[in-house]
Amino acid sequence: MEVLNRLREKFEITGDKVQRDDLALVETTGKDLIPVLVYLKTYEGFKTLVMISCVDWMEKGKFQLSYNLWNPEKKKNIIVKIFLDRENPVFQTIYKIWPQAEVYEREIHEMFGVNFEGNPTQDEELILEDWEEIPPMRRDFNTLRYSMEKFGEREPKSGIIIRKQISEQYDEWRRK
Amino acid sequence: MSKEEVRLFIGPQHPGVTGNMSVEVLLRGDTITWARTHIGYLHRGFEKLMERKIFIKSFPLVCRICVPEPDTNEENFARGLEELAGIEIPERAKWIRTLVLELSRLQMFIMWYGGIAGSMGLSTPVQWGIGDRDYILDLFEELTGGRIYHIYIMPGGVRKDLPEGFEERVLKVMDMVERRLPEYDEIIMENAVVQKRLKGLAKIPKEWVDEMGLTGPVARACGFPYDVRKDHPYEAYPHLDFDVITEDGCDAWSMLLVRRREIDLSIDLIRQIIEKMPRGEFLAPLPNVLYWKIPPGETYVKSESTRGEYGFYVVTDGSDKPRRVHVNGPSFVHGITLLERLLVGQNIADVAPIMVSLQTCPPEMER
Amino acid sequence: MGLKEVLKPLGAWRQIARKPHTILVPRTPREAAERYRGFHVNDLEKCIGCGTCAAVCPNEAIDMVPVEGIEPRKGDSGFRPRIDYGRCCWCGLCVDSCPTTSLRMTNEYIWVRETPDDFVYIPGYDIKGFEEKEKGYRKEKDHSFTHYQRVPMRELPPEERVESFAEVVLGYAEEEARREADRCVGCGLCIAGCPDRMHIPDYIRAIASGEYARSVNIMYENNPFAELCGKVCTRRCESYCSLGHEGDPVAIRWLKRFATERFSDLKEVIKVRKAEAKDRSVGIIGAGPGGLTAAYYLALRGYKVTVYEAMPEPGGMTMAGIPKYRFPFPSLKKQVDFILSQGVELKLNYYVDPEKFRELMDRHDAIYIGVGLMKPWTLGVPGEDHPNVIYAIDFLRKVNFNEPVEIGKKVVVIGGGDVAMDAARVSRRLKAEVIVAYRRRKVDMPADHEEIEGAEEEGVEIWEKIIPIRVEDAPEGKVKLVYGKAKMVDQGPGRRPKPVLIEGEEYELVVDRIIVAIGQQADLSFLPEDVAEKIETERGRIKVNHRQMTSYPGIFAGGDVANRVADAISAIADGLRAVKGIELYFQGEVD
Repeated sequence: MEVLNRLREKFEITGDKVQRDDLALVETTGKDLIPVLVYLKTYEGFKTLVMISCVDWMEKGKFQLSYNLWNPEKKKNIIVKIFLDRENPVFQTIYKIWPQAEVYEREIHEMFGVNFEGNPTQDEELILEDWEEIPPMRRDFNTLRYSMEKFGEREPKSGIIIRKQISEQYDEWRRK
Repeated sequence: MSKEEVRLFIGPQHPGVTGNMSVEVLLRGDTITWARTHIGYLHRGFEKLMERKIFIKSFPLVCRICVPEPDTNEENFARGLEELAGIEIPERAKWIRTLVLELSRLQMFIMWYGGIAGSMGLSTPVQWGIGDRDYILDLFEELTGGRIYHIYIMPGGVRKDLPEGFEERVLKVMDMVERRLPEYDEIIMENAVVQKRLKGLAKIPKEWVDEMGLTGPVARACGFPYDVRKDHPYEAYPHLDFDVITEDGCDAWSMLLVRRREIDLSIDLIRQIIEKMPRGEFLAPLPNVLYWKIPPGETYVKSESTRGEYGFYVVTDGSDKPRRVHVNGPSFVHGITLLERLLVGQNIADVAPIMVSLQTCPPEMER
Repeated sequence: MGLKEVLKPLGAWRQIARKPHTILVPRTPREAAERYRGFHVNDLEKCIGCGTCAAVCPNEAIDMVPVEGIEPRKGDSGFRPRIDYGRCCWCGLCVDSCPTTSLRMTNEYIWVRETPDDFVYIPGYDIKGFEEKEKGYRKEKDHSFTHYQRVPMRELPPEERVESFAEVVLGYAEEEARREADRCVGCGLCIAGCPDRMHIPDYIRAIASGEYARSVNIMYENNPFAELCGKVCTRRCESYCSLGHEGDPVAIRWLKRFATERFSDLKEVIKVRKAEAKDRSVGIIGAGPGGLTAAYYLALRGYKVTVYEAMPEPGGMTMAGIPKYRFPFPSLKKQVDFILSQGVELKLNYYVDPEKFRELMDRHDAIYIGVGLMKPWTLGVPGEDHPNVIYAIDFLRKVNFNEPVEIGKKVVVIGGGDVAMDAARVSRRLKAEVIVAYRRRKVDMPADHEEIEGAEEEGVEIWEKIIPIRVEDAPEGKVKLVYGKAKMVDQGPGRRPKPVLIEGEEYELVVDRIIVAIGQQADLSFLPEDVAEKIETERGRIKVNHRQMTSYPGIFAGGDVANRVADAISAIADGLRAVKGIELYFQGEVD
């Protein structure tokens, strides 16, 4: 996509890829993200924000924020992404550029614990109620342990043999 | 008009609300002055669960995100994985998938058509809608083995070929639906109550469409020809002949008109698909699904559901499980950002028709 | 908008005269569609308890549980799936991934009980009344997640094969091997079939994901002759593969061959953990696969090991008996060199006689006998001492050691085992016309069916039901085999029919050489008399306990001389077991 060339000229682009004819992936820095989004909206026709998503790269100590934009005239998607420090995930809100970003940011705040400075409603509960654990969509949140503590073990318990144990038990028979 | 404001929760258990969500409103008299959507009543942690499951195990799960229209989820996720894993699916599989998607859209529209009347207290069409939809569910049962959750579209294609004589039975049901539609029109479209209440209701400013990212029938009712089937032709849609339906009223009545015409379009598309469907293989060979690893990558795949653009943002990291699956349904915007703004100034009695018009679907907002 | 819009909706009253859409369930039964996903049924006879259904179940609704009346045996874990319908979501993935197609679904969807426990049951075992239903969701073998077709192995064409001793099997390319390895569902039923209990699913999975070095390391955990087994193993594991019930079993042998062949220097690949040196020493008689396996693992455990071999090259039967077109010499050398590099001392051309055996008993703390079977069985017919009657085992050894052999233009091989096939195919490569004469039928031949097919492709004739009567001299330096025909006499159920000579008929066959390949026996003449007295034997083989120790404490035995199976992998397994036994013996545990 040609827009990538123009972006590369104007901003600090740390990586890009054309995934499909109508989908490009662009990686930039936190400093350049908002200028890139504004540029894409104002000059390149990427008028619509489709979604904001967050990916937890726990091993690398990073959160990835993906801003998915849509150009209704040229029928193209572009995903602009940045990486945040996982220890102190703070970024600015973009709800003044697109109003629906407010809810997306609120969700990411709740699910990943990313702080969006300037978002007026991000501390309101969206989905969770009285949540005391770490944000649940983080990779280190253990769903199984949580469900065990909250709801107890699965029933029926007796005689449960999972796949791994088959070969072990079978092995025991063989040794006889 | 009274100066005192009353705070009222509509939902989560309310016949007029589309699923388990609630709208908190401030009322002055009968007029809404402020609204806030509350979700979280059915959070099932789909996205989180999918991160913990090997790819194939997510398919029985992913369809459950949307009960009345599960195939969009299956098809989207399968297409996303195929794109990331570099799997080319057989031509016939694409056509069968398109057939399933259109049947699924059709039954959803029929149910919705009755539902919009129900939201205004007309309960007869609701039952008609559910009854007639069942004939399409019979087709699904025959094709996929399940009535509601089909678990039929899998990476690589579809699980089974069409049964013997299935095409004729589809056409028969289409004829039946077409015969029934005038009766629906008579009690919905030509009903004074419906016309009086929907015309001019929920007027959406045109500039909101691009700014907020409104899609589907909502955008098309505002005159924007946004349809993923045309904008990003997937599966067999490039080979089908159709025009994007638009209306220019920007109100609930236009949305009704768009959806009514979508029913005709779906029937037409199903007939085209049956006519043009090629013969051949329907499932591409997959690697061993128990140990299937997909190389690192990310993609955004989308399709046109009855509610609008339905997208899957899939990130893989080279392991046998996805790193992240973000399901982005149109209701996330329609049901929260748009609904909260749209309700201001409306009459309390119109909350239900507005929500049904926007087809706000809570499972999409809290995956 | 006018009166019309007010009156039109009244048209809905037309419905009052119509038939309703609804039916009265259960008074009016409604049968579900042909492929409806309803309650499961399982054919317990067909099911092998591989657990693939449990592995693919997204909700952990399937547990594998022991079932009364079904005992575990080779190729069947004895477990059967139990389904918890409180968790089942009716997706049918279990049906689609069942390798034996024993699990299927019926189109039954109504089943009412008062207690929730009734909805946790073993389909097929707990009879629920819909077992007989034919309709319902079934697996389509050609369109499922299971890959039943084996990736074909490329081989030299038969015309080219007989021209030289080049290896017949060409091996998988990387992509082919990964595709073949990926077919494995990882059930592990094959492990029971392997005498050495190799970790088959683990190394196959490592190959599928491209980690070849890890794969070879897994193999070397209990088999230092992985490449040998990759080429010539009798691969009993493959006959227990869960995919083999409805399709081709995973090519375990060829995959092992692929992974090991990728590395020319094993020292760089295999990570050995060596224990610190101990001052005990073990003497091993016979450098066959069993003896060298014992030597390798004893050396890794820190013991001093010396191997005594009568032949000028190590390898035992794999050196002397297996033709080079199946197992080339460089491959053997590579594996033996790696074993020796672990600190194993090897003495070649060292023939152990009773006197030397006594020396070894003084020198070592324990002795392992892995001498194999080197003395051929004879036909036991008159005239067998004719110079043109040779024994396959001697013939193969001479060919492998490049000693001159003369077999003439036409030979007959008597026997139907792998050695007979080897002798026949080697003779073809020496440009002789070959007939294999076997006393039973072709289907009864103990040889690997691939070997029989390979021999036939190369132009070997196979004669069935031939019983030699005597050998006579024939003019021009030839030899005459006088033989009779046999009829098969049924021996009752479960026993193979016995060939019985049809009296009064005699046929003659004039050939250049008669090659006898009807088996070998142990030669235990190297044991001193007083030791031999204490070592129990059984049908000519040394009797050992489950730790491979003979009845003489401190003397262990294994391989062909001690087991009845007499193949390389059993010898390797014996060697491995003996290592454990020797170690326990050193620690003072006799049993």
